[in-house]
Amino acid sequence: MKQAPKSDSAKAPTLRDIQSLLQEAILTGDDAILGDLMDGPLATRDTLFGVYRNAYASRLIDILMGDYPFLRGYVGDAHFRKLASAFIAAHPSHSQNARWFGTALPDFLQQQEEAAKYPELFEIAVIERAVANAFDSQDAPVLGFAGLAAYPPEDWSQLTFAPQPSVTLLQCATNAFDIWKALKDDAPPPAVRHPPDQQHVVVWRQATSPKVRVMSAEEAMMWQEAHRGARFGVLCEMLATFDDPASAPVRAAGYLQAWLAGEMLSAAALVPRKKKVRS
Amino acid sequence: MASLAPHPPAHEAKPPYLGFGLGLRPQHYTDILEGSPDVDWFEVISENYMVPGGQPLRMLDKIRARYPIVMHGVSLSIASTTPFDADYLAELKSLAERVEPKFVSDHLCWTGVHGINLHDLLPIPYTREALDHVVERVSYVQDYLKRPIAIENVSTYVQFAHSEMPEWEFIAEMTKRTGCWLVFDVNNVFVSAFNHGYDPHAFIDGTPADRVVQFHLAGHEHNTSHIIDTHDALVPEEVWDLYRAAVKRFGPVSTIIERDDNIPPLADLVTELGTARTIAEQMLPELRMQRRK
Repeated sequence: MKQAPKSDSAKAPTLRDIQSLLQEAILTGDDAILGDLMDGPLATRDTLFGVYRNAYASRLIDILMGDYPFLRGYVGDAHFRKLASAFIAAHPSHSQNARWFGTALPDFLQQQEEAAKYPELFEIAVIERAVANAFDSQDAPVLGFAGLAAYPPEDWSQLTFAPQPSVTLLQCATNAFDIWKALKDDAPPPAVRHPPDQQHVVVWRQATSPKVRVMSAEEAMMWQEAHRGARFGVLCEMLATFDDPASAPVRAAGYLQAWLAGEMLSAAALVPRKKKVRS
Repeated sequence: MASLAPHPPAHEAKPPYLGFGLGLRPQHYTDILEGSPDVDWFEVISENYMVPGGQPLRMLDKIRARYPIVMHGVSLSIASTTPFDADYLAELKSLAERVEPKFVSDHLCWTGVHGINLHDLLPIPYTREALDHVVERVSYVQDYLKRPIAIENVSTYVQFAHSEMPEWEFIAEMTKRTGCWLVFDVNNVFVSAFNHGYDPHAFIDGTPADRVVQFHLAGHEHNTSHIIDTHDALVPEEVWDLYRAAVKRFGPVSTIIERDDNIPPLADLVTELGTARTIAEQMLPELRMQRRK
């Protein structure tokens, strides 16, 4: 028999009904949709519909594997599939574009029971998400050395800097960066460590390539303040309170040089000096 | 909605014949830009370039400067009973304005309802109700994008008991009422015909020849009792045979090899594309003459 058995009183379901039932069947395993389907010439409707059920999970797991290759490498294929399946069950995709499906995976990992025991999983995932976001983040002009040289040195203390849209500064409680880097370099990952201080990891895109490196606490502080709009002169003063005051301008210039060389800035702007008011 | 009254767009010229192309895949960017592969044009997955910036758009800009481009989406969800995602449509329109493709296409399917996306090309019952719904949605998208779109037949694994017409009749009516073009995926026809036990030539014969603007060719996975459309293998002989029948009926139609997984080196795909070119030129000698010009 090819056609599904239907009662005489059965009314043809609407397209809306069909789509609700079919989606439910894929998401939850509910078999109600089978009553509206026909057997094929060689395969039952159950077998044929199974193609959609199998494809759903495997497609989304493939997407997550593509988005988080080093997390997968770290936990192993079987454990990654388990994590991915749990994520898929808890977070069906709400995005039209599969590119954004896995965005919530790191936050999901942080909510899992094993997060306290293995905090590096969340942090490796956060680094991978930042890399993926940097890869196709918005384009912006690049501030290079020539752009900065357009300003006379006496005005530099009044300059503010706009970061590239691709830049993300992360704080890691573990050596997740070292683990991520080892996996990326196809080397054995180091054992998990919890350094006494947080590790500052910056992710950005230079030309078309995502970059990841560690920032010192001082550089990270300067970056965050620059991002908030602090002038270069103020940044130098802040560095003077952070470490040796005498070398603060040189250290600030060094960090700025690294940002320019790495194409991490998109623009500089001159903040006019306040006019002195005579009393 | 911009328009609830479906109508064919007036006086829209048929997209030009583009020759033999490939689905653009990131693995081949360098070979395409550094070599001169024997490829006439590229089809891009729209969603891969609906991103804020970076390498994907930069590569696409470079490749579109050298090759004609067709935009092919997988998430329009034209048959869904959930309202369109306004952000998605706006991004699609914005990309089309940037790329200026020869045409924009997607699939006769739905990808999810109730705010959920299953990221699959899901089947519909071929009913008059579904037809009215799809016609309204195709018309809406065409009005929104200000261009006719092309709709592709998908591989299906199930048939609905209350379908009222064969798929090709549904498609013929859809194109008649909306003026949309058709992408005829030869492999998908083969897969669906096998899974549902109909003659694939009936699909070819029932498809309005003047609306077909593109052929897709691909491979699949045969599981004895059913075929799964994987697009991850060489075009099998039986699909080439069906392609011959399609060329015979539809004439010169822009053609691509569409490989979505197990992506081989570009040279291998170019070789496979050569088979499509040879078959078409054997059947339509004017194509060979045209190529020599």
